[in-house]
Amino acid sequence: MNGVVAIYQKELATYFRSPIAYFVIAVFLLGTGYFFIYNIFLTGIGTMDETFQNMGILLVTLIPILTMRLFSGEYSARTMELLMTLPLKAWQIVIGKYLCAVTMLLLMTIATGINLIPLYLYGNPESSTILSGYIGFVLLGMACLAIGQFFSALTQNQIVAALITIPVLLAFWFIGHAQGFQASDSLRSLLGYLSFSQHFGDFIRGLLRTEAVAFYLVVSAIALTLNTSYLKWQR
Amino acid sequence: MNTTSTSISLESVSKRYGSRNIIHDMSFSVSKGEIVGFLGPNGAGKTTTMRMIAGYTTATSGRVVVAGYDMATDNEEAARRIGYLPEQPPLYDVLEVAAYLRFVAKVKGVARSAVASELDRVIHACRLEAVVTREIYKLSKGYRQRVGLAQALLGKPEVLLLDEPTAGLDPGQIQETREVIRAFGADHAVLLSTHILPEVTLICQRVAIINDGRLLAIDSPDGLQRASEQTNRVSLIVTGPAEAIREALLGVEGVAAVEVRADRGDTLAIECQVDSRPEIAAAIARVVAARWSLHRLERQQPTLENVFLRYVGEEKSGAKA
Repeated sequence: MNGVVAIYQKELATYFRSPIAYFVIAVFLLGTGYFFIYNIFLTGIGTMDETFQNMGILLVTLIPILTMRLFSGEYSARTMELLMTLPLKAWQIVIGKYLCAVTMLLLMTIATGINLIPLYLYGNPESSTILSGYIGFVLLGMACLAIGQFFSALTQNQIVAALITIPVLLAFWFIGHAQGFQASDSLRSLLGYLSFSQHFGDFIRGLLRTEAVAFYLVVSAIALTLNTSYLKWQR
Repeated sequence: MNTTSTSISLESVSKRYGSRNIIHDMSFSVSKGEIVGFLGPNGAGKTTTMRMIAGYTTATSGRVVVAGYDMATDNEEAARRIGYLPEQPPLYDVLEVAAYLRFVAKVKGVARSAVASELDRVIHACRLEAVVTREIYKLSKGYRQRVGLAQALLGKPEVLLLDEPTAGLDPGQIQETREVIRAFGADHAVLLSTHILPEVTLICQRVAIINDGRLLAIDSPDGLQRASEQTNRVSLIVTGPAEAIREALLGVEGVAAVEVRADRGDTLAIECQVDSRPEIAAAIARVVAARWSLHRLERQQPTLENVFLRYVGEEKSGAKA
């Protein structure tokens, strides 16, 4: 466990000593604030539904910037040679980095809580729905982070890592839209099942379904396992 | 567990990348309390061998055993006993020196209560006091190299692997770094790669010469020199008839073999294999200059440089044949 903690602390220190974390958090909060104001004050609907939907797509596009350096940065700085020769197991490196990325996600999520102040002051929102939306948001983010982290391990170039991650995450987000073009029922339900946005939609509507929770966790686990296996294989 | 004093052992180790053979059937060992220099031209396979011993890559065949642990199966246990400075020091630029060293100490399993004193020890040994609170990206090349060395020394590892530890240092720093390595080598096994020849004579008990992924020789610097002294060379440039000169030279006591090549016109380039007596060059000069015109005579000294070039050169001509 020591190894995971050491990697985690090192990653966190690295995030906050480079401008990337501040940039991503700032863009995310600006975007979320804009969507919130637009949805609440211009349309006059006192719920977070639309805002969550917008936060989801914003997250999908920003996560690659957060994850791109996780492994690519280690390769290009030649520090991977240190990590792989220290008494660390591959999974400890993967989990330490992942937990740090999840911490960044949680910080971003908590910061959006400021939107709830006017919502509760001037409206009468349903707390359970909001809570479920936030749970869905964090789970969605965890799956995206795991995927981004895996792609970051495949290349030395951070930009390339981001450029692979963005279309993959967008594909998972929009894949549900392809349902309309499919004649076969099983294919339609498969596409719906793989859709990040459809599962997220359940959470936004206040439905905390085991299937949706499991979906995001399984996606994260698969990506992290691939990540670990890839590091082992490299040796 | 290991019970003998052998800390690093390679048994018939080979490494292949695709169809390319990088390391061929390499075997040697390093004992506790011994500093072994790994000498070879660029691209000889020094870094790859270091990486296999450090556990960064695995051998395609053969066995690498470090501190009694097989790197193929127990590399994590072995990693606790290895300090490794790669060719390019693996540093996190945005961290301060102290934060970086604390990170490595923690991963190496240095007890929480011992971290501060362990950091002090390596910071002092590598003369890093002045830059402890500075971010690594602000450091000069010499300091970066020494932060890398400090990292390797953390946790007093049984085995120290240093890939060109003095590269990029100024003469004063090189001197200090050698002192650190020599002190550490007194009770640990150290393998250091370099292409700076005087370095190995100064601090290494044994030298391994490698080229093209093959181990050509391993011996003490003195032993290698003695071996080459038996085949000392004197080279001459003379104008005269080849056969007559060859006979005259073979008549000189201590000349074992003579090789004659045409240089320009009737000028000849001649190489004599001689024994180690210093007066031979003068005797050859007397014999040749009395009858023909001698343009140049040079006694090749058995420096480690010559030994190295001889091994590497022989290997090259052997490969061509």
